[in-house]
Amino acid sequence: MKPLDVLEKIIGSREVLYTLLILAIILPILSPIGLPVTISSRTLAVYDYIQKLKLGCHVWMELNYEVAARGELEPAAIALIKQLFDKGCKIVFVSTAAYGPLVFSLLQSMAPDVFSGKKYGIDYVFLGYVSGGEAAVASLARSVTGTVSTDNYGNPVSELPLIREANKATDYDLAIIVTSATDTINYYVRQWFTPYHVPLLFVVLSVIAPSIEPFVAAGQAIGMLTGQRAAAEYEVLVGRKGLGLAAMDAQSISHLLILIFILIGNIVYWVKRSSQKSKR
Amino acid sequence: MDAWDIFGASLAAALVIWIYSFAYRDNVLYKFAEHLFVGTAAGYSIALAIDSINRVAIKSLITSPATSWHYIIPLILGATMFMKYSKKYYWVARYGIAVNVAVGAALALRTIPMANIIAQINATILPLWGSDILKIINNWLIFLITLGGLTYFLFTIFPKKISGRTSPIYGFYRALYLIGIYGMMVGFGALFANTIMTRVGFVISIYLIYLQPYYIATIIATILAAIAILIPILIRRRGK
Repeated sequence: MKPLDVLEKIIGSREVLYTLLILAIILPILSPIGLPVTISSRTLAVYDYIQKLKLGCHVWMELNYEVAARGELEPAAIALIKQLFDKGCKIVFVSTAAYGPLVFSLLQSMAPDVFSGKKYGIDYVFLGYVSGGEAAVASLARSVTGTVSTDNYGNPVSELPLIREANKATDYDLAIIVTSATDTINYYVRQWFTPYHVPLLFVVLSVIAPSIEPFVAAGQAIGMLTGQRAAAEYEVLVGRKGLGLAAMDAQSISHLLILIFILIGNIVYWVKRSSQKSKR
Repeated sequence: MDAWDIFGASLAAALVIWIYSFAYRDNVLYKFAEHLFVGTAAGYSIALAIDSINRVAIKSLITSPATSWHYIIPLILGATMFMKYSKKYYWVARYGIAVNVAVGAALALRTIPMANIIAQINATILPLWGSDILKIINNWLIFLITLGGLTYFLFTIFPKKISGRTSPIYGFYRALYLIGIYGMMVGFGALFANTIMTRVGFVISIYLIYLQPYYIATIIATILAAIAILIPILIRRRGK
């Protein structure tokens, strides 16, 4: 068999590809290389914006991602929460997705140090799952107490000091949307930014970042944190090492492996094509 | 962590391995994990939805009917949607669906022109000359690729090629058309690359959260998955 055919057979075999990819992910985690993580201007801009918020500001955080997306979104969310709590900001968490309560409890379990010393009802509140999609987002913008009567734990929202301070969209200095769906972004742009001009920050998966980029370019959001890379950069900025940084070596090596396979695949294809043409 | 937590986490690790075993071959353990996931997700979503209705509407109706009487309307409209399953009264469901669609459309439409159209058009009106070379090149790319993409989707009216020679208008149209195609190809390439990044990120995070801490369950699940994949292959080969 010709070397080119052997190479084609190897890269065409998905078992080989998947096994090499798994090794490229596991080995850098077990034996970290320590590749440097440089901070991009986008992540720095988001960090600086939040640093300039006034002490004790009110922030709205929508958690709208499934458990599978935790690895991409949770590290950035935790880093943001840490920065906000360090500034004394108060956060109202909500989810318009059914798995929101589960995701919030998992987030809290991953970052007990971030939430320690913070009082529920005063420093943060979790409203739980609010059904209704865009209608729920629009209604929450008008009035939180008018939309939900109790929070996720059954406490009447009208009795929570934080909700009494910040009951509608215009009471919030920033709305952070942590999501794996483009729909949620559209809801907040249409129902929070356009009518009330509440500054928005998106924390999204890499896959939906190109779709969300037009909103950021149009100035409808103050910035965007995309995937694990942005999470790792943010963890460096806030000084809390987490899942984002732990994943960077594995990300780099696995992407390098994929690049190598794409290159080999293209070379094999073009060489075979030119040899077939010369045979004719 | 108590024994049930460890069992749950180990089961999670095993289910992750069995789901990913589909990358090699379809097997009975993958099917088991898939069905378990679908059933659990459906059950969880239903429970959450019912809890939401109870928290928002039913509790308010019971505790303060004078101020919460209006919740009865969406409760009835939501209930009418289940009439879809009736052969005789299926038409009743149309009312609930109609109100749902109408409210959604009304809420979206009131700000879509500003949020999704005007703001986006404004964002493409950029300075095409200046001192910052990189920014100007970027602005030209945005301007040309936006025009090119719109030209590509112009199916109704476009300049016709005059036989024998290319008119300037047709040449300009074709140039924009090609810019649109290549611009979109680059965009799709970037989208594909981002998709790969996301999926690889998922695998890394799943390994870090579920598999590495419970490596014994992971190893056992991997061995079981390997057996589940190999047995049908061996049986098929013996049959031949």
